[in-house]
Amino acid sequence: MLGRARTPFRLRTPLGVPLRQIYRPISINRVLLQEQKKQENVNATDGVETPKRKPLSRIPIGAIPEANSQKIGSSGNVEFSTWKAVVLFALVGTAVTFFFKREKKRLELQKEADQNRGIGKPLVGGPFDLIDTNGEQFTQEKLKDKFSLIYFGFTHCPDICPDELDKLGLMLDELKSKYNIQIQPIFITCDPARDTPAVIEEYLKDFHPDIIGLTGTYDKIKECCKNFRVYFSTPRDVKAGQDYLVDHSIFFYLMDKEGEFIDVLGRQYDASGAVEKIKGHIDAYVPRDQRNKQKNSWYGFLFK
Amino acid sequence: MALFSFSKQEEKAPTRSQRKLCWDARDEFFQCLDNINVINSLDGRNKKKVTTECGNEEKSFERNCAVSWVKYFKEKRVFDEKKAQILKEAEGQDAAVIPLLGIRK
Repeated sequence: MLGRARTPFRLRTPLGVPLRQIYRPISINRVLLQEQKKQENVNATDGVETPKRKPLSRIPIGAIPEANSQKIGSSGNVEFSTWKAVVLFALVGTAVTFFFKREKKRLELQKEADQNRGIGKPLVGGPFDLIDTNGEQFTQEKLKDKFSLIYFGFTHCPDICPDELDKLGLMLDELKSKYNIQIQPIFITCDPARDTPAVIEEYLKDFHPDIIGLTGTYDKIKECCKNFRVYFSTPRDVKAGQDYLVDHSIFFYLMDKEGEFIDVLGRQYDASGAVEKIKGHIDAYVPRDQRNKQKNSWYGFLFK
Repeated sequence: MALFSFSKQEEKAPTRSQRKLCWDARDEFFQCLDNINVINSLDGRNKKKVTTECGNEEKSFERNCAVSWVKYFKEKRVFDEKKAQILKEAEGQDAAVIPLLGIRK
């Protein structure tokens, strides 16, 4: 009311009609209406403003209307014109949608990993005591502080293991080049009778240089396979030089930084698919103590 | 057979190049079997046909692969063929193939 003359910001449409005349939000309507009234006033009194007080006006008696109206009228920096509001709404909406989608996916992966870890005794994995190709002891302790990918196979495998180990090499390279992620690849033999450290070392030369080869006594390997739920058909007493195949499950086991099992990757994944899956799990990974904290907090229901 | 018949090589795992030799010999043999319409070369009824038509390929296959591999690949050929047939049949009945998690073959 009675504000100082202000020229509202106007967008011209191609037809030359001010945009605000086509569509006006309520708040702008009021302001314009007041301006029109004021204009009439100015015309009527020939340029001299004669402020009139309406009943129930909030302007104190004797106050300079100029100063007051400035407060209401000149808040143009906060006032939204339609197109700005639409753009802002779209931007904020997109950002929020994107954020929640990502968070939802992350939470789902975290939940999946947590279910796979199990409570108490691990469902898959657990302690093992094997030796690497240098003849040194390798236990579950060596899984700590890095993500590991474990594969069970045997060196005399006709076609599947070499295929999968080649895929493993591609996965490792892609993880490194695309996401700068380095994981610890481990090959555990299911055929301890034939696969000595020397044989495995020679065999793995054909594949990615990072792959760590593990073997052990028949009983240690059997126990390890059992813990990882790997189907194991190796006969106990094989004669030297005997020619046989070993039936075994074909999975990559993804282990977290605490040596706990997160997920299996089957043969249905190609290298890129597996890389994305691993990347998702690594992004969603939360250390154990933090996981427990989350579960015990008031928003813990989100993680159950 | 030759790969594992030397006492020195008994313990060693086949290398990439040895595997390739074996696979190539296998593919040649299977190509020959395709030509004479034989799926199961382990079947005694096919034996005569296979030896006369694809004898050389089979010998090469057996020379370049371990005995257990030869048996494995021959069995796998039968299995793969059965699988292909089942899939084809299912497709004829407008069935959607649902990939089983973790199982590709």
